[in-house]
Amino acid sequence: MESDDDFMSVASSADDFLDTQASDDESLGEDFGDDFDGGFSKDKDIVATSRRPYEVEFKVLSPDDIDRDQNQQINEVSSILSLPPESSAILLRYGRWNREKLIEGYMDHPEETLEEAGLGTNFEGTPKTEIVPGFVCEICCEDGDNLETYAMRCGHRFCVECYRHYLAQKIRGEGEAARIECPGDGCNMIVDSKSLSLLVKPDLKDRYYTLLQRTYVDDKENLKWCPAPNCEYAVDCPVKQRDLRRIVPTVQCNCKHHFCFGCTLNDHQPAPCQLVKMWLKKCEDDSETANWISANTKECPKCHSTIEKNGGCNHMTCRKCKHEFCWMCMGLWSEHGTSWYNCNRYEEKSGSEARTAQAKSRASLERYLHYYNRYANHEQSAKLDKDLYLKTEKKMTSLQSQSGLSWIEVQFLDTASQALQQCRQTLKWTYAFAYYLARNNLTEIFEDNQKDLELAVENLSEMFEKPVPELANLKVDILDKTAYCNKRRVILLSDTAENLKNGEWSFNVDW
Amino acid sequence: MSLCINRLTEERKQWRRDHPFGFYAKPHRTPQGVLDLKRWECGVPGKAQTLWDGGLFKLDVTFPDEYPTKPPKCKFVPPLFHPNVYPSGTVCLSILNEEEAWKPAITIKQILLGIQDLLDDPNPESPAQAEAYNLFKKDRPAYEKRVRQVVKENPTL
Repeated sequence: MESDDDFMSVASSADDFLDTQASDDESLGEDFGDDFDGGFSKDKDIVATSRRPYEVEFKVLSPDDIDRDQNQQINEVSSILSLPPESSAILLRYGRWNREKLIEGYMDHPEETLEEAGLGTNFEGTPKTEIVPGFVCEICCEDGDNLETYAMRCGHRFCVECYRHYLAQKIRGEGEAARIECPGDGCNMIVDSKSLSLLVKPDLKDRYYTLLQRTYVDDKENLKWCPAPNCEYAVDCPVKQRDLRRIVPTVQCNCKHHFCFGCTLNDHQPAPCQLVKMWLKKCEDDSETANWISANTKECPKCHSTIEKNGGCNHMTCRKCKHEFCWMCMGLWSEHGTSWYNCNRYEEKSGSEARTAQAKSRASLERYLHYYNRYANHEQSAKLDKDLYLKTEKKMTSLQSQSGLSWIEVQFLDTASQALQQCRQTLKWTYAFAYYLARNNLTEIFEDNQKDLELAVENLSEMFEKPVPELANLKVDILDKTAYCNKRRVILLSDTAENLKNGEWSFNVDW
Repeated sequence: MSLCINRLTEERKQWRRDHPFGFYAKPHRTPQGVLDLKRWECGVPGKAQTLWDGGLFKLDVTFPDEYPTKPPKCKFVPPLFHPNVYPSGTVCLSILNEEEAWKPAITIKQILLGIQDLLDDPNPESPAQAEAYNLFKKDRPAYEKRVRQVVKENPTL
């Protein structure tokens, strides 16, 4: 059976991953290995190069790759279950692309699964529009002898104009694609791609497929869109949410953007996502917006979308991931008692938490400022370095004419500038990380590494600012310093990542 | 826009031809005597043999330009004592929510019948006002007493 083969490949790729990780921590490897699905295991073209401890395995996917993966899975399920591809697609979206679970569920209860997915059990005939004598559309109340009408397999018939209007509202107005229901009252049949193609114009169809692609990437834990503006690539990475305590998965998109796969923020190594989040929130504390957000919104406990409650009861259903929870205690709605108006689980906990949090923040204000100033300084310097980077090109040109060096010979400035950027980015986050570290021997080593990198960076930065005529003479020195900076950065990141993976760090906060 | 008006014209025709007993629904007439098809005045009677029997509750139903793509807004005037009615009078009902069960094929008749069903069968999972909800949950006799009072204040014509 096909699914058996897949299980095999899953197992072998998990082994590959362990080897390349060169990790002595079994459990982390297993974390990556289990339930990671088809998408990744089939890509044998990911060559097992030797990775540094802070690097992760990933692959960049173009929109075409995403389409291909999607269609491949649809066709596989289609052939396994012998259902039409457009129906298999609905089934897979209903099952959030968890193929094994879906097939299992379908084998056990085929009819219930189809019904719940909004498919119905009748697969006869091809969709086509019809003219039905004596028909009156329930939506616009038009009759007329030449009225084109359409009904899906559920039999709810409406005029094509109303159907089209309804679909346009759903797709353009609400951004819905994967779960558009039949316009009939109480009917949960999902509009399939074949019906849709029959009814709507090409521009709407394009939008529909874009939205479908979006839900595909959103639904799959191993896929994330590159957050860079106008970038249309997605990244495939096996790091799971629960691994984020022990790894900082920085990936690089084909558009050159470095970002964290865990939280999609800019590269923030060596600090783990959760600490970064806490840090950023802390830094924004004095801004009015942050105050408003913390006062008026909460995050969905499952997908972390920010939610503003604009009325209604405490029963929340996340618009994005459909997670149901209680607004007061943020607990699962299904496990919730019947005390919706006074959620007592929340009261006592929140009261004491709020008090201790306040006391803590006052006591640590001074300490915080120490780290914040250094963090902000590197951020600022990185900006200045960036301005310098923009001037680099000019410098390189003038250097070429003044000293007679060739284009290739002045590239060292570009390399140096990039190293400077990257090291500042890392340094910046070392301060946020250090803020949350408890004091012990490891912290001492960390601070030594931090100091070494900082010294190296400042040296390089200083040289970089020298007047153009001197630069040619400093070339060897700059090259040396650049290499040294990069090396110090690798050492710092490797050391931090190793300790993080092995759970060696102790923190002064719970996260 | 024309879809909205066409549909409402047709809804009005159908309602005049046939509608459930005890209900009323008519487009609002402005002081100048102009008919506003997008605002209806409706009345929903309590079901026979329920707590709500003998009452007639007035609703303002406002249709958006996007109707029937988007649902109308139904508001009790004055606001009604009921767990699923907001303090403003707006009804909280799944078929009136475009993100839940609203479908363009749902008619005014179905909406009003749905609201009638809701009167005696509140949905405790979507409370909209604290007063009625708390009494309904914690003190059923007091809740029923209040409902009888409300019915008395809004008698059938």
